[in-house]
Amino acid sequence: MDIELQAIGENGKDGATCSPNERVAAGNGDGGASRTPDTAEKDGLLFGQPASSNGETVSSHHTTEAQRTLGNTFCPRKMNSVCRISRERVRLLLIIICIVVLICAAIGISLAMCAAINVDGDDNFDSSSFKVPRSFNGSFQLPNRVFTEELSTLSSNESQALAAGLQEKLDHLYRSSPALGRYFSKAEIQAFRNGSVVIADYQLTFVMPEEQQDQLRNFTLSREMVYNVFRQFLYDQEADESGGQMYIAPVSLNMLLRL
Amino acid sequence: MLPHSLLGLLGLLALCKGQQETGEAESCDNFTDLNLSHCFMGTSLYVRLLLYTRSNLDCGRELDHHRPSSQPLFNLSRPTAFVIHGYRPTGAPPIWIDHLVHLLAEQQDMNVVVVDWNKGAANLNYFIAVSYTREAAYNLTGFIGAMQEEGASLSSLHLIGVSLGAHLAGFVGANLKGKIGRITGLDPAGPMFTSATPLERLDPSDAMFVDVLHTDMNSFGLQGAHGHIDFYANGGADQPGCPKTIFAGKSYFVCDHQRSVFLFLCSLNRTCSLTGYPCSSYSHFLEGRCLQCETFKPASCPVLGYDVSQWRETLLRLGQTKVFFSTTATLPYRKLNYRVDMVTWNQYLRWGVVYIRLHNGRNFTEVRIDQKRLRFEQYTSTRLLAQFDEDLQQVQKISMRINTGNVIGPRYKIRLLRIRFTPLGRPERPLMCRYDIIMEENMEVAFRPLPCNSHL
Repeated sequence: MDIELQAIGENGKDGATCSPNERVAAGNGDGGASRTPDTAEKDGLLFGQPASSNGETVSSHHTTEAQRTLGNTFCPRKMNSVCRISRERVRLLLIIICIVVLICAAIGISLAMCAAINVDGDDNFDSSSFKVPRSFNGSFQLPNRVFTEELSTLSSNESQALAAGLQEKLDHLYRSSPALGRYFSKAEIQAFRNGSVVIADYQLTFVMPEEQQDQLRNFTLSREMVYNVFRQFLYDQEADESGGQMYIAPVSLNMLLRL
Repeated sequence: MLPHSLLGLLGLLALCKGQQETGEAESCDNFTDLNLSHCFMGTSLYVRLLLYTRSNLDCGRELDHHRPSSQPLFNLSRPTAFVIHGYRPTGAPPIWIDHLVHLLAEQQDMNVVVVDWNKGAANLNYFIAVSYTREAAYNLTGFIGAMQEEGASLSSLHLIGVSLGAHLAGFVGANLKGKIGRITGLDPAGPMFTSATPLERLDPSDAMFVDVLHTDMNSFGLQGAHGHIDFYANGGADQPGCPKTIFAGKSYFVCDHQRSVFLFLCSLNRTCSLTGYPCSSYSHFLEGRCLQCETFKPASCPVLGYDVSQWRETLLRLGQTKVFFSTTATLPYRKLNYRVDMVTWNQYLRWGVVYIRLHNGRNFTEVRIDQKRLRFEQYTSTRLLAQFDEDLQQVQKISMRINTGNVIGPRYKIRLLRIRFTPLGRPERPLMCRYDIIMEENMEVAFRPLPCNSHL
């Protein structure tokens, strides 16, 4: 600013010196001459500024180059402290992350363990303590079988085969029942009779623990439950087995508690 | 002389005919139609009684307050129903009035009298309308007195009051010492009546039989029980399908309140039969604790509408009965209700909410029973009420899911010995059962229901 003001002042003086000269050419020439220092000064100002800034950038380039050439081992004095702080921070961050991950893992593992170890009390039972028998008798019809004399004697091949097939069916259905499976002992086909179709007499035997007997009798091993599990099985397979030899008509099923 | 007299006679005849014609053209007396400006200015009470019968369903005839029988269509030997509207903040005739008149006339051959007190009810200031109810009630009492003098019996009268009109009907009934046959209150008005004594509002002593329907107890309706039977639709407060925010405009204000009329219309129309279950509160009803109708045997639980008078004797014996039901958002409003009973054999007590879906092969309907977590205790029946929006016949598959609300830890299992679905209010439909099911938490279990068989 000072320089500029000075320049204008000089300029003004030049103007004052040249104004008394009335020659146009000289005046012109003077004017031209008087203008030059102005422009030169301006130029100088213009040059000066970029030059100084350039100089600065160049110098900074040099420092970075120096850093590069000297390698990472060297930290300029100013940067040195920053480097140390950031390294400490990174270390701290890493430690925190590790701790968080560890906690998460611990929680996850313990949850998984819990879920794995947790045994549903209802899945646990000791079948050796089941001693009290409970039996049901009943009959059902096989509408797709024709009664033959051979079926009336249980020792015959035909009746043995049919009885085995039916027993397997009953076995399977009661063993796979979530509520009754554990108490199921055996299913027997006792006889085949001749109705309009073949009638089979069966007997189911369950064994139950001594404790909780009354509740089991009234609920899980009630006639309603044992009967309906059978009936439900027959209903479910009705669609795909209604043509088979072993087909049992659901409506023909009856069951009584054997005392 | 003769031609003159003939001419005179002809002239007279023509005059008579002309009068008749003009008389017929002008005789339709319709509901007073006012507009908002009247409401701003305020109107003073003027009660008109418009008669509609099966022979003039669309053309009301105004009745003389002092000489009812001067209107030949008014047959006093027939029962008479009075339709009384409530506060009219806009002055426009109620949109349901014609529909209600038509449907009432369909029920029975009767006189339907629309009590048009639109001049009086149409005031921006609700309190003025309230103050006119007493006066209008005296007016109507006078008319009923005149009807009585001309041979009508009070027990054949039925007053149907909407909102403020319900209290008006109550006042008329009280003026006549409760000898009127029946008063039906459709969501009796709440504002200004919340702390009213029974004398100052509709109450069971106002008629021989008072039935009330509540749909908007939390704003324009009145809380409590006011009749021999009180029907609470969806608990009597917020109705499904009604806007929850003021942004919906006018319907935000009127939807819940007006639903009472629409439910009544729909029951008159026989398009919906809404059975109310006696209960102490709506939450108990939703929990399935009040699904017994033994009190009304051999009849079913009371059904909303004109025919609720079938239960009259039982209800009068019981004093006051509150009955509850739920509706869907739109016609026919009826939900398909099932009572669901489950018995578990889980050793440990479990709690959970249940989702049930019924399938009929083509579509399904779903319900979520989560008002309260259900308690599953070993060998104890857990009962719930499942209200499905859609009425599916021939259910082929049922799927269920249970949620115990257990976020971490093991997945619980609910082991059912038996589940039974009893359709409510549909005795012709079969009970559905299923036995021996294991439901793992949040896992859907689907099964085919079997007919429950009791013969064993």
